[in-house]
Amino acid sequence: MPIFSYLAIPKRDARKSLCEELSTLEHCQVIPADNQDVVVVVTDTPDEHTEKQLQHTIKSLPSLQSLSLAFGYNEKLE
Amino acid sequence: MMKTHAHHSRGAPLSLLVVSLLLPLATLLGGAATATASDVPDNFDNQGKKLFTAQQRTPTANLSADSGGRTLAEFYALRQYPGSPPRIPHVVDLAFSGNETDCLSCHGKGGYSTEFDAFAPVTPHPENVLCTQCHAQTKTGEPFVETDWVSIAAPKLGLSFLGSSPPPIPHSLQLRENCIACHTGPGAVVEIRIDHASRGDCRQCHAAVPQSQPLTEFTRK
Amino acid sequence: MKLDRREFIKQAAIGSALATAGSLFPGISFGSWNRLAGGPGVLAWQKTPCRFCGTGCGLLVGVSDGRAVAVKGDPNCTVNKGLCCMKGYHSVQALYGRDRITTAKVRKNGTLVEVPISEALNLVAEKLKETRDTYGKDSVAMYGSGQWTIPDGYVASKLFKGCLGTNNVEANARLCMASAVTGFMTSFGLDEPMGCYEDIDHADVFVTWGNNMAEMHPVLFSRMLSNRKRRAGVKIIDFATRFTRTSQAADKTIIFKPQTDLAVANSICYEIIKNNWVNDNFVNEHVSFHKGKTNIGYGTEDHFTFSDSAETIDFEAFKLFLEDYTPEKVEKISGVPAEEIKYLASLYGNPSLKVTSFWCMGMNQHTRGTWINNLVYNIHLLVGKISTPGNSPFSLTGQPSACGTVREVGTLTHKLPHGVVMNENDRQMAAEIWQVPVENIDPKPSYHTVEMFRALDRGDIKFMWIQVTNPMVTMPNLRRYRDGALKDDRFVVVSDVYPTPTTDVADVILPAAMWIEQEGMFGNSERRTQHFAQIVDPPGEAMSDTWQIIEVAKRLGFEKQFPWSQDNYIEPIWEEYRRFHTGPKHEMAPYTVLAERSGVQWPFVDGRETRWRYNPAYDPACKNDKDFDFYGKKDNRAWIWARPYEPAAESPDEEYNFWLNTGRVIEHWHTGSMTRRVPVLHNAVPSSYVEIHPEDAADLGVVNGELVKIISRRGELTMPAQINGRGVPVRGMVFVPFFDESYLINEVTLDAFCPISKQPDYKKCAVRLEKA
Repeated sequence: MPIFSYLAIPKRDARKSLCEELSTLEHCQVIPADNQDVVVVVTDTPDEHTEKQLQHTIKSLPSLQSLSLAFGYNEKLE
Repeated sequence: MMKTHAHHSRGAPLSLLVVSLLLPLATLLGGAATATASDVPDNFDNQGKKLFTAQQRTPTANLSADSGGRTLAEFYALRQYPGSPPRIPHVVDLAFSGNETDCLSCHGKGGYSTEFDAFAPVTPHPENVLCTQCHAQTKTGEPFVETDWVSIAAPKLGLSFLGSSPPPIPHSLQLRENCIACHTGPGAVVEIRIDHASRGDCRQCHAAVPQSQPLTEFTRK
Repeated sequence: MKLDRREFIKQAAIGSALATAGSLFPGISFGSWNRLAGGPGVLAWQKTPCRFCGTGCGLLVGVSDGRAVAVKGDPNCTVNKGLCCMKGYHSVQALYGRDRITTAKVRKNGTLVEVPISEALNLVAEKLKETRDTYGKDSVAMYGSGQWTIPDGYVASKLFKGCLGTNNVEANARLCMASAVTGFMTSFGLDEPMGCYEDIDHADVFVTWGNNMAEMHPVLFSRMLSNRKRRAGVKIIDFATRFTRTSQAADKTIIFKPQTDLAVANSICYEIIKNNWVNDNFVNEHVSFHKGKTNIGYGTEDHFTFSDSAETIDFEAFKLFLEDYTPEKVEKISGVPAEEIKYLASLYGNPSLKVTSFWCMGMNQHTRGTWINNLVYNIHLLVGKISTPGNSPFSLTGQPSACGTVREVGTLTHKLPHGVVMNENDRQMAAEIWQVPVENIDPKPSYHTVEMFRALDRGDIKFMWIQVTNPMVTMPNLRRYRDGALKDDRFVVVSDVYPTPTTDVADVILPAAMWIEQEGMFGNSERRTQHFAQIVDPPGEAMSDTWQIIEVAKRLGFEKQFPWSQDNYIEPIWEEYRRFHTGPKHEMAPYTVLAERSGVQWPFVDGRETRWRYNPAYDPACKNDKDFDFYGKKDNRAWIWARPYEPAAESPDEEYNFWLNTGRVIEHWHTGSMTRRVPVLHNAVPSSYVEIHPEDAADLGVVNGELVKIISRRGELTMPAQINGRGVPVRGMVFVPFFDESYLINEVTLDAFCPISKQPDYKKCAVRLEKA
């Protein structure tokens, strides 16, 4: 049951479409910054497999420039 | 990849543990409730003047003073059931006083007693001056015969209806209309002491919902 | 709502990401997310004014997973500074009662049938049009509420007054605030208090006039208590007709016979003059004297009309008028010992004491409600204790937006958002902003609330749309008005959130979004406009009252006047409405400012809020270069009124020998349709009762909890007695809380009203008691 959070940086002028693309994804919460092209993404997935798939999907979004991990938690690691 | 291990175990509040140790045979709440014919609440709410007077007279420092460390376990140990008059836990030299209201010299306003090396608890009903009418002394710890007496459970603490909301008053207000007496100051029991009594009207936020009465939901008739 | 460990970890994940972003991009803002705080599972706290009384406490609502799960006081809101009362703390639970109305219902062959909301709105529009075409424009009516958001009331007024051309727009604030309005208008020429809650932090003496603040405005009351605790010499004087929780806390309680507050107020003025406590400079510069009509009636008959006329008098004539009100004479009328009247006068008269008077329903629900409002202003004006910090005659409101929506937007039959329908300039302004022909706006007011329900009973009104209020519990002389609403060719539409006795009489029920399920604004007692965003989604097909009205307006062909989209309509509505109040006397803050702050006080001029009106040190509208400017009246003065004592509409006699008084308890708000669905509040006071003096109870032979039958000339009600409860009436009076729909006390009350304000008196009628 992993929980991760990321900072997602959109491509130029693509913040809105990035947010829209992200918010269509399951297990994914989106918090855009008001004044910068930065989006916080939180994923809350039932298992590691789903988490990996989701991460892959996010990384391949056309409007995404870069994705960096801020926080990671996996129940199995405890 | 940065990983963070989060440890967020939240133990039960200390008070609940104490109560359950003290009363292992406690019956469930509500079993002892006496259902009244109507929903008209108990009358003791009209004694609120005692509360407001106490709030006005108690020095601000005392309202927010830290607890002297008396615990709920000690509090209930002196009572046969929650709400019963506590026994007097110390020697009373009646010959010395000759006057029962001398109890109030310590228990009227509270404060530190060098004799007992403790902060005196404050009585919520100083108008009843014949203290030993209800409060018995303890001359022996030995029972006459063993008893099968079983008490009801003490009110649970922290039963807020929402995570952030003020908990309702879990006990009857009869003889305990003055919240300030038991819930503030250094004589207060540590688990139930509060430090925001200067706000003045406890019943503004804390509704009287005694746990000994059954909870019901509103339904249209 | 489960607040589990997982939510907590998720919150930590968000917090960590926000912190990382903050260190990488200095100055980055995530809006409300930056204010993340609180316990596990709570993901965001969002500001809103409280849903209940007119105090207007700022709340922070904790939201988790799309549901409101917690409440704390908003520390940024100066109203309550982080403290709430038990209703506010549990308010969000009122969203989640199991019997929430989530779909529209239409009565077909006598039974309510669920239909899609669009179908119900079609029917509402058709029926409205058909009724109007058949019976004329004044056969349709809108009855709203001081719980309407400002946009709700604004679009209602625009549709009915501007587009449909009928002045049949009223709101339940007629039942709670009308006398306050007429009091302000007659004394100052402009509505709403000159002071603000900060007065509490400055006053030395508080006099509560028939006002149980400890239960009705608890957050303001505890602010008084903490001031009394903190500052030496602060006193609370409870001037009342029964002993309440406020009496328990007061330094002194003075009990008067119902209705005789008029005589006592005049007597206080008499004493002030007699003892030379008049502030001569203030009176000479800022006050003029007037008298109006007397023996003005009680409005119990249909088609009752009254209009006052002012005659200017001088100070000497006013003094002469007061000769009838010596403390000794008034003692005989009021039962208040002459010494206590003199004591009250000495508090007002002492130049070194700052005095704040508070009142609410005791003075407003009064057949001489306008007069008693005038008289308390008289006292403050004679001694010049007004419009300065701590010196404040303060009229409190009972609903979250009685001021914001009903008084400021003007959802009363004679009102417009600016001014009144009788005034041509005001009609011109409204027509221009609303984009309707000026001829659309009828210059003649139609029905005030009581008369509106009488018209529904008579058949003059055939279609009524009721939003956010429960008149089938709250109308006085209720039986007549319920029978009227149930008559065959009457069509009643009710927008509400829970089933009530009012939805019981509805032909169409529209599911309404409640409070933070929509965006909106309220306006509280101290001229503070408070914006709230939509924080959670409404359930099912529930829709905001504003949007329901817009949907119907569009169906009636008024797209031009209601051009907004459902995605964004509150902001443009606010900005359109704000045009009505341009200028330093009533300038409102722009939307962007409202959205940001925990309430903004008007007049909001050059980015600054006005805390004390009529005082040039605080109020930019003052222009006369004097120490005060009462610019509401043409003579630039505040008006003192000679208003006599006249008896109540119905007083106890040999047959009906008790006063009946009605009101609220702290746990429940109004008819309890929301608070009874909050478990802690319901469990604290599950049902209503009749408070009775212990000696009267002994005479009747009833003990606590036994049943008493209360009988008036209108109806009767049997309910359990409460003896020596939190409130204790005097001998010869009973008191009944009106929140409980199982005990409809308003079937017993009388529909007499103040002839000037048309506000009914729920505090006084005659009953007799029997042991049931």
